[in-house]
Parts: sequence; structure tokens; C-alpha cells
Amino acid sequence: MTNHSKMLLRLQFLLRVIRKEGEHLALTDARLFSEPFTIARAERLATQPDLAERVEAFVSRFSRLQDTLGDKLLPVLLSALGEKPGAAIDNLDRAERLGYIQSVDDWLAMRNLRNQMVHEYVEDLAILSNALQSAHAFVPSLLASRQAMAAEAERRGWEATDPLDIRNPHIYANKK
Amino acid sequence: MRLSTEQAQTIRQLAQEVAGGDTRVRLFGSRLDDNARGGDVDLMLEVDNPVPNPALMAARFAARVSRLFQGRRVDVLIAAPNLGRFAIHDIAHDEGHLL
Repeated sequence: MTNHSKMLLRLQFLLRVIRKEGEHLALTDARLFSEPFTIARAERLATQPDLAERVEAFVSRFSRLQDTLGDKLLPVLLSALGEKPGAAIDNLDRAERLGYIQSVDDWLAMRNLRNQMVHEYVEDLAILSNALQSAHAFVPSLLASRQAMAAEAERRGWEATDPLDIRNPHIYANKK
Repeated sequence: MRLSTEQAQTIRQLAQEVAGGDTRVRLFGSRLDDNARGGDVDLMLEVDNPVPNPALMAARFAARVSRLFQGRRVDVLIAAPNLGRFAIHDIAHDEGHLL
């Protein structure tokens, strides 16, 4: 197998990952923020394990999608496009120019917010609740980045095929 | 202090853009140690008025300073009348260096 086809397999794998990660983030986001995350709700984290678990799910799903998009998919996508991946910050600048992310400053701000959403660690509930509410406001932008990178791959014929998808008879047949 | 005059000035400008004209910014932590190398940048913003979105403000400021340091990790603490004051705020205030 050539390096190029290995890279495409890796790219397709990551496209499947971000599809699932995005769906899971959207689900938890809708459930957690059905009402605003106020300081009063943050106070209930200590006594409501289900709420604490939902916050935990939101934080880890938000973080995982951002890391998969920026640290894993982006360098592979740039390579597949024939660009030489550079330092993380340079890749983000290129992603902004290519329209995959809305703004590098926002992207870095989302990353910093993640440190402020860990409820065992952040003692000031005004900060914790504002960090969660701010991350919620960034979810559409994160999902738009996922969409933009997936669309780029699709335009070039590198779309994510699901190896277990029965709508993909060729691959399914090979699996059996 | 391991910051150039230009870096200190840019950080002060960014702080005022993000948090308002009368914001003070203090450097604390390992960057004050002339013998250490590299390391995170720890900053405290001191604001006289209540801050409505403290986490977002800290994140936006950290992001912009981080770019100044080629993506290095930047931790931002805010001292404001509507926020809790913890031991770390006192340490940053007492040991920190006003930029």
C-alpha cells in the first residue's frame, strides 16, 4: 500500500470519527443547555451526580471534537491537499485562510475555555458557569468547522465511508 | 523578568482591548524567574468594574497573548469585584510584576 493510500485511509477514519464526535456533542449540548447554565445550576453540581456527569460529557465531547479536528484531521487534510503540515499554530492559520475555522483567535479561546470548565478544579462558580455557557455558544462554530473539513474531503472524493454500512455493499461484502 | 519590553507593552495593550482601558495586568509565576527557561505565561488582569463574562474574557485574552508567544500556554486569572478572591489572587498580587 502506498503512503498516499495509507494517508487516505487515515483521513477516512478521522472523517468517520468526527461525524460521530459531532453527533455526540450536539446531543449532549442540546440536553445540557435546554436551560441556561447559571451559577445556581453550578451550585447543584455538588449534589446532583446526573448533572455533573452531563457536564463532564459535554466538556469531554467538546474537547475531543476540537482536538480531533485541529490536531489530527487538519494535518492529514493539509497533507492530502499537498501542503506540508507545519507547527500547530501555522496549520490553524492555514485552516482559517481555507475557511475551515472561522478565526484562529476563537479557536484558541475555545481551547482556553476548556481549562475553565473542570468543576473539580474551578472554585469560582461565576467562572465555571460562564465558561460552560461560552463553550455552548461556540458549539455551532465547532460543528461548522467539522462540516467545512468534511465537505472539503467530499469535494475531492475522499468522503468517509462507513466500513460496516450495509449501504456500502462492496465494503460490506469484503468484511464477510 | 523574562519578557521583552515590546512583549510587555503588547500584553498591556491587549489587556486594555479585551478588558477595558483602565485594566492593569500583572505577570506572575515562572516567567518571573530569570533562571528558568520557556514555560507557561501566567497573567492576572485587575479590573475595577464587575466583569459580565469572566471565563470568555480570560479565554480571549489568553488566546491573543498565546499567539504572541507562538502558541505557548497562557493562564489568565481575573481580579474583579464580582469574582471570588482566592489565595492564588493574593500570591499573584504580592509576587507579581505590574506590566
